[in-house]
Amino acid sequence: MSDNIEEIQKSVRKYIIIGVALLALSGFTVWLSTVELPTHGLNILVGMIVATFKASLVALIFMHLNHERPVIYKVLAFTVVLALVLFVLFVLSARDPLVFEGFYNRNE
Amino acid sequence: MDIPYTVTSRPDTGLYNAKIGIWLFLASEVMLFGGLFSAYIFLRVGADYPWPVWDLDVTLGFWNTVFLIASSVTVVMAWASIKLRKYTQYKLCMLATIACAAIFMVNKSIEYSKKFQHYSVKLTDGTILTGHLPHGYQVKFENVDALEIAIIGSNKAVDADPVDHVLTSVVGDVPKFKFPSGVEQELNAATFGELRKTARAEAYAKMQAERKKMIESAEKAVAAATTDFTKYEAARKLTIAKNYHSIPDTKVKLIPASPLKIAAKPSQFFGYTATSITFVDGTTATGKLVDDKMTLEVDGVDTRAVAQSDKSLAFDHRYLGEAWQKAFVANRDHHIADFEKKYPTRDKAKSATLQKESLFYKLNSATPPAEGAAHGDKHGAEAHAPADAHGHEAHHPTVVIEKKDITFFSNFTPKLNTYYAIYFTLTGLHGLHVVAGAGVLAYFLFFNGRMLREDPEHLANRVEVGGLFWHFVDLVWIFLFPLLYLL
Repeated sequence: MSDNIEEIQKSVRKYIIIGVALLALSGFTVWLSTVELPTHGLNILVGMIVATFKASLVALIFMHLNHERPVIYKVLAFTVVLALVLFVLFVLSARDPLVFEGFYNRNE
Repeated sequence: MDIPYTVTSRPDTGLYNAKIGIWLFLASEVMLFGGLFSAYIFLRVGADYPWPVWDLDVTLGFWNTVFLIASSVTVVMAWASIKLRKYTQYKLCMLATIACAAIFMVNKSIEYSKKFQHYSVKLTDGTILTGHLPHGYQVKFENVDALEIAIIGSNKAVDADPVDHVLTSVVGDVPKFKFPSGVEQELNAATFGELRKTARAEAYAKMQAERKKMIESAEKAVAAATTDFTKYEAARKLTIAKNYHSIPDTKVKLIPASPLKIAAKPSQFFGYTATSITFVDGTTATGKLVDDKMTLEVDGVDTRAVAQSDKSLAFDHRYLGEAWQKAFVANRDHHIADFEKKYPTRDKAKSATLQKESLFYKLNSATPPAEGAAHGDKHGAEAHAPADAHGHEAHHPTVVIEKKDITFFSNFTPKLNTYYAIYFTLTGLHGLHVVAGAGVLAYFLFFNGRMLREDPEHLANRVEVGGLFWHFVDLVWIFLFPLLYLL
């Protein structure tokens, strides 16, 4: 959080530029989804990379995470770790002993 | 008492308290949405149907993205404006933010209502027809000459209520009914209540008579018992007899003075045969089934689950017929040839886009396009307005589908498939966040005027905290838009 008046005056310009960049990236995402990449999985991967980049812009600039107090980073470190665990959990379903046929014996 | 550290920083954290609070809250929100995004991955990986891509109105979704991003800019500008003591600019920025939120929610409700009115009908061969039901869907009976009402004794989940469940589907005037007592009178809550009371009183009397008989028989056995074991058995029989409380069900038959016509929606009945229909309250009406066909204005034929797409049941002579079949095949072959030309080395079966473009045919006219005419619009699913109740002559062919050909039908709601389940869950929860966030910002704008004049730094902190929540809402949408609309 910047309390300096001059800094805030400067950042107003920055907010508008970031907003325009976010709009442009949204348009890019829509266009990207119409492009036929070799697999649809690649479309999803690229789309998610762009979305993550947009989300980072929002978090760093709009939410001021680029210059924040250490205590907030500590809180967020926990969040990131726990959220990652949440997303990795579904990998375990591939090892469901009831239907698991071995990683190299799939029919596909 | 003043709440400490609303303006100045707390020495140990270096922050005012609300900021720590909002970040802790946002951390928990990340986990809430994280769980749902994780569910999205589960459902998508496990889906046994082609995952819908570009099925929603992308234009509407894109505009909503624009409005949310714009509102994120305006809310951070509002905060900066207070810091710079530009109060008019602050108010304008806050107003713009709230207006963007309102537009977002209006668009969302348009999108939802389109989905509620749009239907997907799965045929027995796996073909899916999409379209609108101009008259709804009803099962019609004629010559209904009796209502058989099951008035329950005890311990059943469903209780008869023909007034609310049967009479509501009667077409035209409801005639009088001949009651079991022989009296001809109207069937309404009062007369049915009386009927039920009598029936239950009779059932109760029957139960008591039965119990009396059982007790008498058991008492005789007690008197006659000689050995320990027969005494024990007889005493047990007596206990059971004394505890006998089972009130039998009563079937009551009502005869309408003149035969009824019934038109029932699927939500109103359990099932039907050619001669009877059973309503959700357990009442059975006997009559003649005259119509259970579904009239559908078809705007799409999805043959992705059919082995031979051009032999789909949709092109049966009773339904879309040969001319549409030709148009379908022309469109399919055009897309396949196009794909082969563009990507000669790729596997056609593995391209979800090609599968959709070639096998999910969109019908945008009432009659098949002439041969060689332009091919179906790529993303036409929602490109046209749904046919309204007044003039639906123009856009789509109408087919009358026989019940035996339908395996499942639903509007585009969570029960249709897991995609729509997670779509409504995620966007619904996100929409609630938009409403809540806009509500908080509106409170700051309209009810914190004095704080703006007397303690602007405090209000700046409030707006910053509200803004942090608002940016989070925007951040969630940044992922939702591509995942649900585009990819």
